Amino acid sequence: MGLFDWAGKLSRRGFLAGGAATIAAVAVTGPTILADPQNGAAPAGLNAEESRALLKFVRDLFPHDRLEDVFYAKAIAPLQEEAVKNSSTRELLAGGIARLNASTLASAGKAYADVADESVRVAAIKQIEGGAFFTKVHGDTITPLYNQPDLWPKFGYEGPSSALGGYIHRGFNDLDWL
Amino acid sequence: MAAKFDLNDSSVVVIIGSGAGGGTLANELARKGISVVVLEAGRRMEMAEFKNDEIGMFGAFTWLDPRTTSGSWYVTKTSPDLPVWTCKLVGGTTVHWGACALRFQEHEFKTRTRYGAIAGANLLDWPIDLKELAPYYDRAELRMGVTGTHGIPRLPASNHGKVLFAGAKKLGYTKYETTNMAINPVPRDGRAGCQQTGFCVQGCTFGAKWSTLHIDIPQAEATGKAEVRPESQVLRIEHDASGKVTGVVYADAAGNLQRQKARIVALAANSIESPRLLLNSSSSKFPQGLANSSGQVGKNYMRHMTSTVFAIFDKPVHMYRGTAQSGIVMDEARLDTKRGFVGGYQMELLPQGLPSFATNLVPGGWGRDRASIIDSYANIAGVWLVGEDLPRETNRITLHPNRKDKFGMPIPNVHSDDHPNDLAMQKHALAQADALYKSIGAKRTVHRLPFPSTHNMGTNRMSEKPADGVVNRFGQTHDIKNLFVSDGSQFTSSGGENPTLTIVALAIRQAEHIAGQMSKGEI
Repeated sequence: MGLFDWAGKLSRRGFLAGGAATIAAVAVTGPTILADPQNGAAPAGLNAEESRALLKFVRDLFPHDRLEDVFYAKAIAPLQEEAVKNSSTRELLAGGIARLNASTLASAGKAYADVADESVRVAAIKQIEGGAFFTKVHGDTITPLYNQPDLWPKFGYEGPSSALGGYIHRGFNDLDWL
Repeated sequence: MAAKFDLNDSSVVVIIGSGAGGGTLANELARKGISVVVLEAGRRMEMAEFKNDEIGMFGAFTWLDPRTTSGSWYVTKTSPDLPVWTCKLVGGTTVHWGACALRFQEHEFKTRTRYGAIAGANLLDWPIDLKELAPYYDRAELRMGVTGTHGIPRLPASNHGKVLFAGAKKLGYTKYETTNMAINPVPRDGRAGCQQTGFCVQGCTFGAKWSTLHIDIPQAEATGKAEVRPESQVLRIEHDASGKVTGVVYADAAGNLQRQKARIVALAANSIESPRLLLNSSSSKFPQGLANSSGQVGKNYMRHMTSTVFAIFDKPVHMYRGTAQSGIVMDEARLDTKRGFVGGYQMELLPQGLPSFATNLVPGGWGRDRASIIDSYANIAGVWLVGEDLPRETNRITLHPNRKDKFGMPIPNVHSDDHPNDLAMQKHALAQADALYKSIGAKRTVHRLPFPSTHNMGTNRMSEKPADGVVNRFGQTHDIKNLFVSDGSQFTSSGGENPTLTIVALAIRQAEHIAGQMSKGEI
């Protein structure tokens, strides 16, 4: 999963680019459907409510209180892009969000994103865990979430070091608490 | 400068693959004045293209051609499209390897004799022993610049190493140190010294780590006797009516089929692709595939017992700083059946950057508990447990019955079931690593079962008798004397050690044998 989930995607797209532009590149090099086959117009993608629910769902999957919503917004951006271009993706996402909403409406009387009690939302997720919507969103957002350089310092990760001369003079052996 | 050979030049040695086996063999043969054409499926990258970017470099040089999996092995569930993590570029997986350069132990060459018959395993002694390979290990270590050997100093311990060693000491272990590594601690042999960059497996940006891309391939080309053709994927090995191989058919960078004639073909495409190619080269004369009169081609696939333990401490470790795998505990590598299994395992540092750590920690995992582990990233240490797994005939590479790659070649299926011995060793190793870290105050440990395998062995194994395996003591196929196997698929057992040093030693030895037989006119 995660990094290794990328195997299928990368090979399907013959994708051979390096660098942090990877995520954006994957988002825009996916299969492009210019017109929706059913109504002949460009599909609209997710609406604002659905996008809000999707962001909440991804935050619940990977809940780090130290992270502002902007990191999750970036993590779901490739999926939102794909939903604009691909009606089956849009339907999968909208259908999954509808199920989450139906679940929390039944248990708490509110749409998923409006439920303040995390345990209620978690219970709703457990009902769809392992399904197509869950797997798609989990697999497609986990790497874009954690591969954001702006996020790394929040976890104490200093990242690339070559341009700084490695870690040889930057604390590779500074541990002193043992 | 690099040579250029004609497709119809039937005097050349064609080497399929340019990694540890193929790249070394090319260098050795070229330096003996023998003409070689290296056909490499991947492209040629330069050091300047390597970036400290886990996700980007994974995409840039991982072998991502379609594969399928079956069997009970954990990876068949968690990574069904990518059972192994090897590379597709000039230099092969030597660009990616962590550079742990360990010799096999004496008993690991003689598993059938030392372990006895084990149900469900297909044990066999190697036809060679440690004593016979020792001089070639010496040459490999000197070539690669292995720390801790031949007067080459060891790398300094990183924070991550200090934690491992403190735990090992507390637990009563005595065999721990910064690993024998093919990474220069100081400038040597035209290569820079290690800058503790931490991105060893994304391709060393300073060239301190040995790889065939940076060392052997350029040296081979400098002789004027070697030509490397990147983006050239071999599809079939051809033979004549007498059964001798005559050349190979490959798809070039444009996707056009080419036929390169050859005096000798050496297969060094790793333990998945090498048997795949032999099986795909079946003919009316060899209906089971080339070199497969034993029926052992593709069988006895070994990928090491592996697992990882991450430990969470109260204070910072910063495991990503410094040479990635530069620490090892070897106490459990011994043969001691009182532990409930045959064979042994090494405990090796395995740091990960945040992107790969966070994405791969718990396959399919989600929620607060998982997130809380990642929240502790800066205070985490990790050790990779890597040990001998047993050959089984049923663990094997086969051609997929109907799925084909873009060149029309059947894709490989990788089947692997854990042997009870693998599981017993895994359980022991996880418990020992837990104890090691808890002895110095780890608050919690987390187990990560196998990642896609970078150690792949055994699918064209070496045997004394032709009925038991595919190649002889020199990697020469029992059936076809001008066809050789030069990669880890020759291994008769997997040992508990990282395989690269042994692959290089075998290739140096094989080059002597090939040159000798050529000069005698035997091949």
